[in-house]
Amino acid sequence: MKILVPVKRVASLDDEFELNDDGRDVDPDFCEFDLNEFDEYALEAAVQIKEAAPEGSVEVVVLTIGPDDADDVLRKALAKGADRAIRVDDAGLEEADRVAIARVIAKVAENEEPGLVLCGAQSADQGNAQTGMSVAALLGWARTAVVSKLDFTPGAATAQVERELEGGLVERIEVETPAVLTIQLGINTPRYASLRSIKQANAKPIECLTPHDVGLADAEIGGAGALSRVRRVFVPERGRGEIIAGTPSQQVARLLEIISEVNG
Amino acid sequence: MTHETLGVSKYDILFEPIKIGPKTLRNRFYQVPHCIGAGSDKPGFQAAHRSIKAEGGWAALNTEYCSIHPESDDTHRVSARIWDEGDVRNLAAMTSEIHKYGALAGVELWYGGAHAPCMETRQTARGPSQYASEFESLTYCHEMDYDDIRRVQGFYVEAARRARDAGFDIIYCYGAHSYLPLQFLSKYYNKRTDKYGGSFENRARFWVETLEQMKAAVGSECAIATRFAVDTLIGEDGIEVERDGLKFVELADDLVDLWDVNVGDIAEWGEDAGPSRFYRQGHQLSWQKFVKQASKKVVLGVGRFTDPEKMVEVIRNGELDVIGAARPSIADPFLPEKIRDGRLDDIRTCIGCNVCISRWEIGGPPMICTQNATAGEEFRRGWHPERFPKKGSDDAILVVGAGPSGSECARVLMERGYVVHLVDSAEKVGGYVNEVATLPGLGEWSYHRDYREVQLGKLVKRNRDSQIALGGKKLSVEDVLSYGADKVVIATGAHWVTDGTNCLTHAPIPGLEGTPRANVLTPEDVILGTKPIGKRVMILNADPYYMAPSLAQKLAEAGHQVTVASGVELGRYMHFTLEAPNMHRMLHELHINVLSSTWASRVEDGRIELYNLWGDGHKRVYTGPGKMPRSANTTHAWHEYDTLVLVTARRSEDALFRALKARSGEWDARGIKGVYVIGDAWAPKLIADATFDGQRLAREIEEANPQEPKPYRREAAVYGSPYQPGGSYEIRYQG
Repeated sequence: MKILVPVKRVASLDDEFELNDDGRDVDPDFCEFDLNEFDEYALEAAVQIKEAAPEGSVEVVVLTIGPDDADDVLRKALAKGADRAIRVDDAGLEEADRVAIARVIAKVAENEEPGLVLCGAQSADQGNAQTGMSVAALLGWARTAVVSKLDFTPGAATAQVERELEGGLVERIEVETPAVLTIQLGINTPRYASLRSIKQANAKPIECLTPHDVGLADAEIGGAGALSRVRRVFVPERGRGEIIAGTPSQQVARLLEIISEVNG
Repeated sequence: MTHETLGVSKYDILFEPIKIGPKTLRNRFYQVPHCIGAGSDKPGFQAAHRSIKAEGGWAALNTEYCSIHPESDDTHRVSARIWDEGDVRNLAAMTSEIHKYGALAGVELWYGGAHAPCMETRQTARGPSQYASEFESLTYCHEMDYDDIRRVQGFYVEAARRARDAGFDIIYCYGAHSYLPLQFLSKYYNKRTDKYGGSFENRARFWVETLEQMKAAVGSECAIATRFAVDTLIGEDGIEVERDGLKFVELADDLVDLWDVNVGDIAEWGEDAGPSRFYRQGHQLSWQKFVKQASKKVVLGVGRFTDPEKMVEVIRNGELDVIGAARPSIADPFLPEKIRDGRLDDIRTCIGCNVCISRWEIGGPPMICTQNATAGEEFRRGWHPERFPKKGSDDAILVVGAGPSGSECARVLMERGYVVHLVDSAEKVGGYVNEVATLPGLGEWSYHRDYREVQLGKLVKRNRDSQIALGGKKLSVEDVLSYGADKVVIATGAHWVTDGTNCLTHAPIPGLEGTPRANVLTPEDVILGTKPIGKRVMILNADPYYMAPSLAQKLAEAGHQVTVASGVELGRYMHFTLEAPNMHRMLHELHINVLSSTWASRVEDGRIELYNLWGDGHKRVYTGPGKMPRSANTTHAWHEYDTLVLVTARRSEDALFRALKARSGEWDARGIKGVYVIGDAWAPKLIADATFDGQRLAREIEEANPQEPKPYRREAAVYGSPYQPGGSYEIRYQG
């Protein structure tokens, strides 16, 4: 049985940054990239299922969508216990939204036929929390979002999962497999990679595919397959502070001035 | 994008040039005179340590105190000296290196009076009156007559000329820390009844005349500075800022281009170089701020300023014109550059532990710094605080332990480009510092951790294969062997012993062997607060530094009745860090009972048998094997306790290293080229020395055996090379 773990290379902004000329995203020169923290928990959940199963019976496949540089997050996942890595190159996916991204993941899932797809509950940079659920919808599989406990024996027809609700309530769900689950932070303690596993991961091949390779038609790729479009990314204007200097009486005078300005 | 291009200018005022007499300071960052152990005898050390700060953006760099004449000789301590041509040549190395970076060089001309013991020169210093130094042992000065006064003033003038010739831009007349000019000004020392004593004008005469003569000699070429303790903190018996302090500033203002003002005296100069245990940033401003009211000249002062916001505030408020710094400049020689470039989180903030100062107090070993392991190593090891040689191999390195030593080692290895895995079972970088910094008054020591934590966080992002792994289970021998590391660095620290082993008997205390009793605690137990502590606490101490006093304070403040039985001088090392005087006052205020020269012979549940270390006979006689050469100690007595705290010794946490060493035959097959030990895991030591160990190993990791330090460049007198022009090394006798 396979477990597919789609992972995202997320961006974190430098203290100072600039936007692209089209004003629709941050210039990547001002970003640092790393494996999405939520996906680390999904990966760990997959690896723990594999380790509890008879050796060789479960294969953890990680998938990302991005440019060459995104191989870094796949190598990190391989070092932390994934068996195989696939990268779908994002050329042609510039205008993709989470649904268009989900189309790619769903196609890979159709090809790989995993028993589970474990996604992070959301991405640390965009936070839509929609990609995983869109994959389930496209596949027509059972799904549960924001899973905080997972109990699954490979080959079983169902997985037992728990979700934390408002007011300290816990919801226990039995989900039919194959299923798509999105995994919440704290479900486990993601492992650190050893230098040995990093060295081994660096020596593994990464399967590189295009959207066409996975079986998507032109009408499903990038903007054509998207249901939304980013119009603008911007920093909202903020009010400016004023430091009132001078003697106490000068400061009081300026303060009264401001109060009367505000009061009109 | 830099802050300037964003128009952020809140620190601009710190970068405004300011004129001091014939010279100009390029900004407001000024390294005041401070000791490093170089003096005139280690010119390479002197030149490199000062010029690294010139490179880092400071406007002016001073020597330490610099003796003007052999009758002001501070041996055993290390001062600079400008007695002759040999000294001029050696100090010129410093001025020329500083000038390469566009900064000014200053020299603090010093005459100590009775505070100069003259143990090398065997001369006798002169003073305003005859008195025995309260700082030295057995040192009296000769009371000056008018001829003596003219002669000593001549020493200042001749020294000032030599200083000018050596290339100094700023020349001090040093009158802080109770040295000669202040001895004349202060009634505490000056008991004269002639025109140099009595009235304020008479007491000020020596200093004013000396400044006049120095200014006449070199004032057109060099800025004249004076360092002045504007308040000696002993009330009207000494200098008080709003009385003689300000009057002197007004009187001498025309003669001075730069006032360097502080408070205190020499016997308790920790009131100036205030340790963070007792004093915060800017702690002298209550006194210093008056000076600008009386002066038209540039005023600078110290106060362990590390925060640019505070520096700006101090200047904007008109309290000081220039930010003086000694310790912050040691901890981070690039402080000005980092502030200018908006790199505030890269600043290695001084923690105020005063370990730098301790070395001078001890008598002159090279200065060290807890934060900056490269301090003092600039010349002899070629260590630049901000630049690192590129890695010498593709080895991947596992560092076990993220305390002071391990975190420093990992940081420097990462700076060098190595793939590094730093592993610690604790949730946070910092190790022992995380515990120590919770002790009363030691919160600022956590800056040591903060700097490394922030830097490691940045560095780990530079290399996708590097990793900081915290909070996992402790690595076993097998974990390390199978980790896949080419080299392993063990930095597992040390712990306080539970059996009372100590530096006096080198053995456990009877009754404490084996499993620790529930009411016998170690310092870690007290710090972590995991065990109940009873009303009556007995601290048994054989550690000469801060742990016993800190625990005593912590427990007394929490309402416990605390007795400290100490077999070593309580807080002895704190004399060197200038923490001792206020530590003793604090122990007294908290009614902590200190039993000195006391050790323990045995422990039972709830009671400890103590004895006076000097209770055995003073006569020593050989009476045969198995018999003591002195009569028996009869001072043993039982003391009850509810909780006993053992501050007796630390022990390396070296089990992992020794187990790895025992399996060294497997290293090759596992791809391990070497396993090394640093910091407390090798032997318990100062945080400064543990940090140094980490830096050193990281810089020498490619050596055949990096466990053994590479030799450093020594600076010592060379036989056959005379110090003085025309001198000789022949052995020649008179007659």
